[in-house]
Amino acid sequence: MTGGQHGPRSGPPWPSRAGGPGAGQAGPPRPADELGDLLARVARGDHEAYAVVYDRTVGQVLGMVRAVLRDPAQSEEVTQEVLLDVWRSAARFNPELGSAGSWVMTLAHRRAVDRVRSEQKAAERELRVASAVVAYDEVTEAVEAQLDRERVRRCLGSLTELQRESVTLAYYGGYTYREVAELLGVAVGTVKTRMRDGLIRLRDCLGVDA
Amino acid sequence: MSGTYRRRFRGGDPHTLAAAYAMDAVPEPDRAPFERHLAGCESCRQEVRGMREATAALAAASAVRPPAALRDAVLRATEQTRQFPPPVTRARTAWAARSGGGWRPRLALALACVLAAVAAVSGVLAYRMQNRLDQAQVRDHTVALVLGAPDATMLSAHVRTGGMATVVMSHRERALVFTAADLRVLPSAESYELWLTGPAGSKPAGMVDVSGRGKMVGPMVVSGLSAGESVRLTVEPASGSQRPTSPPIVVIILTPAQ
Repeated sequence: MTGGQHGPRSGPPWPSRAGGPGAGQAGPPRPADELGDLLARVARGDHEAYAVVYDRTVGQVLGMVRAVLRDPAQSEEVTQEVLLDVWRSAARFNPELGSAGSWVMTLAHRRAVDRVRSEQKAAERELRVASAVVAYDEVTEAVEAQLDRERVRRCLGSLTELQRESVTLAYYGGYTYREVAELLGVAVGTVKTRMRDGLIRLRDCLGVDA
Repeated sequence: MSGTYRRRFRGGDPHTLAAAYAMDAVPEPDRAPFERHLAGCESCRQEVRGMREATAALAAASAVRPPAALRDAVLRATEQTRQFPPPVTRARTAWAARSGGGWRPRLALALACVLAAVAAVSGVLAYRMQNRLDQAQVRDHTVALVLGAPDATMLSAHVRTGGMATVVMSHRERALVFTAADLRVLPSAESYELWLTGPAGSKPAGMVDVSGRGKMVGPMVVSGLSAGESVRLTVEPASGSQRPTSPPIVVIILTPAQ
């Protein structure tokens, strides 16, 4: 497989279903700029560096895109587009505007959401209400072994129900804040506030730096 | 500006939208005014940044094992895909060499003029362009040089297949800035390519990145202008072409040097 050749610290971030050796040992957190350094090499056309970037991000990109789109084939297609985008746009990554990981995931989330909004008709989207909520359950279930996931779950769990629903429907469900308000039957202003409070709490709980 | 903005903005206090924006949950009618607000609000940008780090952690929590075939497909595709150039290069030294301080108001004025002209073409375009240009101001000195040049000229034309292309050019800087709005979405196998065409034929001037949010593309910088050239846009295979393989969908004839 792919992860091994780059040493234990660059192992794939997705859960190992077999529970093989090393699964669940998150190890020391990577320096935040390591992925950024790799992107700088990718910007110069370095295919080897790109392969490492690919291995480190593809699991997260696919998982998130699938949470939003649900359809496996479409999710792979969008994931492919996103990762090709990372190759093409590497020179446009600006470390002053955030971490490399967040840059990649922002590209990915936008593409996923754009796909949802451009292709999914309103009627079909209604049906996804349930699945968006399921996505959150799946997430909490899938996170057990790994430290990072555990932390995210704990932090999501520290949100109020309305905050958590607002965040998960918007992020994993790909809904606009107005749609989220509609789905939850609360005022638009309330949803905006809950999203903000929820993300601030999440950010502080995770201890991520701006 | 923010006072005007608040009055116009139906969503209430724009600051509360940062979280929704970080999750791509701000729909089109609200997004452009929010991005406009964001361009002038450093604390809002910082808030969005922090929230994006948090949402990236949400993404990490949903990681799954990808199919191996995907890796081969993507790695193969990169072999055939040209990369976008970095946003800053040539102008850095020229920029630094300028006497300190004086450029800022001049640039602001030039930007304002360009934006006013664009606004005459389309209000929506102006919103987006303002946002794009604010970002460009920070990261792309060439764009700033062209827009700030005393001989900066703006030319716009309708794209045959839909949308509007705009060029701001300066003979003094021998460069132009290209943007377009509302281009038709292409199938993934195709891509827009920009050309600089002179008596000797067409030179590739870059693939047009339409992957961004919204329908605005650019700004792209094309350097090394000569007299009598034109800018063309064609539809090419996604990997790009060395020569145009289809008729141009827009031609903008550059003004002669004065």
